[in-house]
Amino acid sequence: MLKRFKLVMLFCLITTSLFGQNIKFEEFSLDNGLDIILHQDNTTPIVTVAVLYHVGSKNEPEGRQGFAHFFEHLMFEGSPNYDRGEYAKIIEAAGGTLNANTSNDRTLYFQTLPSNQLELGLYMESERMLHAKIDSTGIATQKEVVKEEKRTRFDNQPYGSIVANMLKATYGGTNYEWSPIGAFEDIDAASAEDFKDFYSTFYVPNNATLSIAGDIDIKEARALVSKYFAEVKQGTKEISRPTIVAPDLGEEPVREVVFDNVQLPALFQGYRMPAQGTDDYYAIQMLTTLLAGGQSSRFQKNIVDEKQMALAVQAIPLGLEDGGVFIMVALPNQGVEIEALEAEVDAQIEVVKTELISEREFQKLRNQTENSFISGYGSTQAIAQSLANYKVYFGDANLINTEIKRYQEVTREDLQNAAKKYFAASNKVVFTYLPKSQQEIPSGSKIKKEGGNNQ
Amino acid sequence: MKKLLTIALVLFVTNAWAQLDRSKLPTPSEAKEIKIGDYEKFELKNGLKVILVENHKLPTIAWTLTMSTGPITEGDNSGYTSMFGPIMRAGTTSKPKQVLDEEIDFMGASISVGSSSIFGFSLSKYKEDVLDIMTDILYKPAFPQEELEKLKKQNIAAIAQSKDDPNGISRTVSAVLNYGKDHTYGEIMTEATIENISMEDIKNHYDKFFKPNVAYLVIVGDIKKKDAQKLAKNYFGKWEQGEVNKEVFIAPVKPTKTIVAIVDRPASVQSVINITYPIDNKPGSADVTKLSVLNQILGGPSFSTRLVSNLREDKAYTYGANSSFGRSRYSGTFSTGASVRNEVTDSATVQFIYELERLRVEPVEQEELDLAKNSLRGSFARSLESRNTVAQFALNSELNDFPADYYANYLKRLDAITIEDIQATAKKYIKPEQAYIVVVGKAAEIAEKMKAFGEVKFYDAEGNPVEDPTKEVVSDVSVDDIFNKYIEAIGGRAIIDGIKTFEYSSKATLSIGGQSLDISRTVYQKSPDKFLDKTVIPMMGETKQIYNAGNGRVESGGQKMDLGGADMAPLKYLGVLYGERFYGELGYKVSYKGIKKVDGKDAHSLTVEIDGLTVTEMYDVESGLKVQFDMGAAGLYSLSDYKMVDGVNLAHKLIVKTAQIPMPLEFIIGEVKVNKEIDDSIFN
Repeated sequence: MLKRFKLVMLFCLITTSLFGQNIKFEEFSLDNGLDIILHQDNTTPIVTVAVLYHVGSKNEPEGRQGFAHFFEHLMFEGSPNYDRGEYAKIIEAAGGTLNANTSNDRTLYFQTLPSNQLELGLYMESERMLHAKIDSTGIATQKEVVKEEKRTRFDNQPYGSIVANMLKATYGGTNYEWSPIGAFEDIDAASAEDFKDFYSTFYVPNNATLSIAGDIDIKEARALVSKYFAEVKQGTKEISRPTIVAPDLGEEPVREVVFDNVQLPALFQGYRMPAQGTDDYYAIQMLTTLLAGGQSSRFQKNIVDEKQMALAVQAIPLGLEDGGVFIMVALPNQGVEIEALEAEVDAQIEVVKTELISEREFQKLRNQTENSFISGYGSTQAIAQSLANYKVYFGDANLINTEIKRYQEVTREDLQNAAKKYFAASNKVVFTYLPKSQQEIPSGSKIKKEGGNNQ
Repeated sequence: MKKLLTIALVLFVTNAWAQLDRSKLPTPSEAKEIKIGDYEKFELKNGLKVILVENHKLPTIAWTLTMSTGPITEGDNSGYTSMFGPIMRAGTTSKPKQVLDEEIDFMGASISVGSSSIFGFSLSKYKEDVLDIMTDILYKPAFPQEELEKLKKQNIAAIAQSKDDPNGISRTVSAVLNYGKDHTYGEIMTEATIENISMEDIKNHYDKFFKPNVAYLVIVGDIKKKDAQKLAKNYFGKWEQGEVNKEVFIAPVKPTKTIVAIVDRPASVQSVINITYPIDNKPGSADVTKLSVLNQILGGPSFSTRLVSNLREDKAYTYGANSSFGRSRYSGTFSTGASVRNEVTDSATVQFIYELERLRVEPVEQEELDLAKNSLRGSFARSLESRNTVAQFALNSELNDFPADYYANYLKRLDAITIEDIQATAKKYIKPEQAYIVVVGKAAEIAEKMKAFGEVKFYDAEGNPVEDPTKEVVSDVSVDDIFNKYIEAIGGRAIIDGIKTFEYSSKATLSIGGQSLDISRTVYQKSPDKFLDKTVIPMMGETKQIYNAGNGRVESGGQKMDLGGADMAPLKYLGVLYGERFYGELGYKVSYKGIKKVDGKDAHSLTVEIDGLTVTEMYDVESGLKVQFDMGAAGLYSLSDYKMVDGVNLAHKLIVKTAQIPMPLEFIIGEVKVNKEIDDSIFN
């Protein structure tokens, strides 16, 4: 067995750099600034049409938290040529599926259709880029739906407030401070005029990328794109892209305790991350694999298996365009004090900072990274989205094939240095979620309502 | 030059289509044929069935070994099958877990074990290494004791975590109701059952089920048939077969009427609603595809379903509502529900039932049926993007004995479904009148209104019946909440603060010994703490009770008596005008005592301690109004018939019960004067 592995290891060092992803695509732009990317794959008779608008919660003006995500809902409310509630019906009647999502940095819309319905997909996206209907009925309905979404996904969920809390603590005073779902009061205060202004500022072809992947003919597809999108006028308003400067958190970690409707305490630690695409970003991604990727990872092996201090320890890098938060979650086993668990997680991080990892463990990380790259592109949806992301964030759609090289350039020393630089006390926020039953009860009255009832 | 020409061409092309008619949807081009794709099937001598789906697009291979076990009832040791996988994975007789973990991660591969399966995935160059490890685990698992101990700890923590998850609670309680706690589908893992689990359970499970004659090996990926056959034989050929005794499945008892099952979760801002009951929906049966279409119309994965159009797009009750008709060789369940904000829990349930019944009595629209079929057709096509789909079809065909063309004929079956088929299927399978309506939410807010749908029963998070929790102390209401609501209910802070004087007269009739005596009572109050109660009782004359800023006195029949301490307390209580605003400042100790019934309605109970006297106040939960106060020996006062006078909501009926009078006195208030000038001298 050992022999085979030695051979495999050697083999790996050679072949890793030989295998490249090879997703072919074509790009072009229209006069109105719309960027288009096309990937042809005739294996299955389906096609994904995706539009990425470079606007997210960080572009929201003062007092309008939740706008970008709310607007995502409004984009389904119709156009002069189809009614509210019809968008989804039309796509589904054609045998398609659709969805959309909003992040701090961008908003994505996509549908996957039978390939003979490509024109329909382009028509529908062009309709809402050209003249989406924004009126009071749609606004009123979606206000309630978005509130329900906040209740379902965050307020009614144990630990549901963590991302919002983490962002506030790590990026307070910047436009990353609030999470995309926003605040009820701001959404309620918005008027139809506010939304129309948002639309004409951000929902313009020069702020959008159209990505098409699947069973297409490139020439035909190009012609159809021009047919439907050429007439959309370029936007004239200034697009505000705020600079995010991570605030000084002080020398010591920021600490907060949240009493929530949970029975099991949870430890959430966050370190601010370097922005996407930077050298340090790739080092941090590989550190994620080192710490929590797989059964032999540092957290799993030491904290969960050997010391049995946790039910689970995970690392989730929330990478953003201008920064991000590297979040670790640890759930203690019964009888384990949360302070002890935090000390253990810190100890594992300390090892990474002080000890250079072995050649073998490093090769393991590279193999794991390669494997996830290769298996990551199984669907037209994944490919369409990736191409658009790479284009919008980095101006280079070909990163879908070459980004693996950025990982391969990371050295063992880079990992250690990145850990020292970012996993520092001055860059750290700790949230401890405790059950409400552990809260001290003031005498003479009962506990006031908390969390989840702020309407 | 070329560039200019291209630009010119594009401009020309664009202009030609400048007359694009956007008022019509574009028509689709000709649809391409949906091909399912091939698979290979072969069997080893020991009974292992192998299914191979080749896919050379990516250099990866997935191996899935599944054992067909039938239903398993764990009973008092519930949870051992879910622990089985990680324990089997935790080391072999030749390699401990850490070594296995490192070898697997080193290849960037993944190998996992389930309760009746082993899965391996890697780049194709590692295929033999993966099989080495998978078969080492399969034939020589070490079953280390420390892994069992570790998993017990983890599962106890996991149980605590899930106790607050409203969706997890809903799933658990639904299963318990549908199947019962002793059934394989309804049994739950608890701290007690975890305690009972021993390594013997784990080893017995392995000995019983891990045999080739009930196993299927599904291979998907970058490997040719010849190689697959060779590897299957090499690695699995010597696996010994043996007898496997499967449990007999016990069919569940379906509900005969609708029961509302509430699990109280006081912190909820939303109710998780699930309407559910068991159904028979076996794979391959005549109704399977019709149920898929029916479900797609009702609440399938789509934005255009009956449920989403109603509950989300029209009423904005919820972010999402869906339904499913579970498919199973043994027993499926029908389930439909949503998370909705507390105050619309009953309204949302009304809409669910409306939509369910509508499908039974009204034929669906042709457009709707076409939309549903197109959605399913599209989803079928999309699913074929992954070669795993074909593999799953192959495995299902084996397990359920489908004819060879079962999946190839799916689209034909789909096309053939009519409006009549859908209505008949709805009549057969949709039964809201014989269902469990499981609601996880804030009982205090929702329980009463849910009575409209059926008998209401209460359960805890594990499906055990419990007492009505709304009867107990409501712990998330504060004294301030109660007082604030009361002040709001009687006119609001601004109005109440603006009242300087009150004067009202009332009459009661006392019947004693065949005689009717008219008692009149006039009350004068001046803010903040001047009070005069003048009561005239026939044959007894006039009695005055006075409270004036810390001094209390009773005058009756010419005699005067000064009061102090506990004796004065009732007057002090009555004497401070709307004293609820100042209890804290006045140093009265106020305690919340829970919810009790007053005249059949829920009321918050508070005790107010004033100088040794304990007054019990009752505030109606729904309206916030004070409906009763009990001064012990000084009398029990019930307040009702609240009416607005000059912006103030005042009780116009006062029923007094005291030990001195043999029957309750019902005072009806007549004239009320608010902020009329009152001379201070009357309070001296």
